[in-house]
Amino acid sequence: MVEIVRATKIYPPDVVALEDISLSVRKGEMLFLTGMSGAGKTTLLKLICGIEPPDKGMVEVIGKDLNRLKPKEVPLLRQQIGVAYQDFKLLPDRTVAQNIAMAMEVAYLNLKTIKKRVIALLQQLRLEHKHEALAGNLSRGEQQRVAIARAVANSPSLILADEPTGNLDSKTTSLVMKLFEQFNSWGTTIIIATHEESIFRKSDHRVIELHSGRFVQSEERTTTTLNYML
Amino acid sequence: MKFLSTILIQTSRNLQKTWPSQFMTLLTVSLSVLIFSFFFLIYINIIKAGESFGDDLRLTIYMEEEPVVEMQVELVRKITNFSPVEEIRFTSREDAFNKLAAQLGDNVDVLDDLDPSFLPPSIEVLPKKDLSSLTQIKRFSEYLSTLPGAIKVQYGQDWVERFNYFTKLLRIIVVLSGILLILTTTFMVAYTIRLAVLARQAELEILRLLGATSSYIRTPFLIEGFLQGVFGSSLGLVALYFLFQWLEMHFTGPGFLQIVDFTFFSPLIIGIIILASIFLCTGGSYSSMRKFMRI
Repeated sequence: MVEIVRATKIYPPDVVALEDISLSVRKGEMLFLTGMSGAGKTTLLKLICGIEPPDKGMVEVIGKDLNRLKPKEVPLLRQQIGVAYQDFKLLPDRTVAQNIAMAMEVAYLNLKTIKKRVIALLQQLRLEHKHEALAGNLSRGEQQRVAIARAVANSPSLILADEPTGNLDSKTTSLVMKLFEQFNSWGTTIIIATHEESIFRKSDHRVIELHSGRFVQSEERTTTTLNYML
Repeated sequence: MKFLSTILIQTSRNLQKTWPSQFMTLLTVSLSVLIFSFFFLIYINIIKAGESFGDDLRLTIYMEEEPVVEMQVELVRKITNFSPVEEIRFTSREDAFNKLAAQLGDNVDVLDDLDPSFLPPSIEVLPKKDLSSLTQIKRFSEYLSTLPGAIKVQYGQDWVERFNYFTKLLRIIVVLSGILLILTTTFMVAYTIRLAVLARQAELEILRLLGATSSYIRTPFLIEGFLQGVFGSSLGLVALYFLFQWLEMHFTGPGFLQIVDFTFFSPLIIGIIILASIFLCTGGSYSSMRKFMRI
């Protein structure tokens, strides 16, 4: 589903965000990407969803080499990737329902399906009472859930979530994780970037740690994580 | 179908959000169309009137002496050699006198003491309809005045010249109002779309990230331009029609409008004006998107 080969990303003037990263994510896999702030998690997600191109190396997503992707193919690829952004990227003057519907509208789904899915997602995330509320009037936790609902709304093949539980209490966190687990059980590949140990501590899924733009080896990871926890 | 319905929903949503600026643009487009079509309507009616006056155009050559039959044949040959004509009529002194007497009607007695041969003989030349421009008529008249025995040529020079200058002036006004129409519609629509694009930059960015295709983002803006063209021009033409009706109601009777026999645009011209407005508005929208949208 995702193949990254020796990818490097440097922001001007010389900030190395990712260095010589290689990663392979199987179809239907759920992967946790962890590490401290500034470790390169968000940059890696940006590379995967094609927002940023790598300076070196190759990124292949859903069978498409992003370096060789034609401009016309970009939207179609993005429709297959659901992204829950760290800064939510919601439209504050639109209702919750309209924000979620946007992801399906760009894929030209019919209105009935869109309405049904919006209601179902809001119920799953306990936001049904906010259907007509303006996104700008929601709390950060609620906005985060709306962003997650929008990311999964189009039933994408790949879901990327950047700190999806950063603003949530433990109860809502488990609701969100349940939603991700559900999509994963249907075969959706999910990559979650988080620094919250509690989310992946008891999980069977693969956890990869980033440190200063490089992957930390698994043995090394245990030490770093322990240090991080301490 | 799904594409169309989604795009239409998106367009109506955009229009709801930006209706004040859209409304102002609509009024500007309507006003420009009204100004242009008003002068254009006058122009085409004047041209039409000119054509009907042209049907009655005749050049009269006053002669020194009545030409004999051989001379008449020679004159006809010379005239038709220079320019083909509809008809050539020879009028003798006696015919001219009788014609004047008939025109005087009850006042014919004023001619009682006059010599019936006091009027000069003349030749009336009815030119072909294609002889319409003032230069052509002038040149023909100059030629006719060089014919042997010709004293003077008359064709209502003053009137024809004034009419010609008037139509020239109208043509300039029509061209200027046409330029005004092009500039205002294109720039106003482009400016409105530019404002809409800038105001919705964040939304467009999110749409791009969600995988919106270029046509999904651009088409609503093009439809907005298209609608501005359709409704703006229709509103302008409807306003012009009411103005036309009002003028007809208030200026009927013996006057200029009756002589000219004013008529409104034919459906073909209405269609052309609407199509041109649609083209200009959609073009304005397209150029604005090319400049300000980074997709």
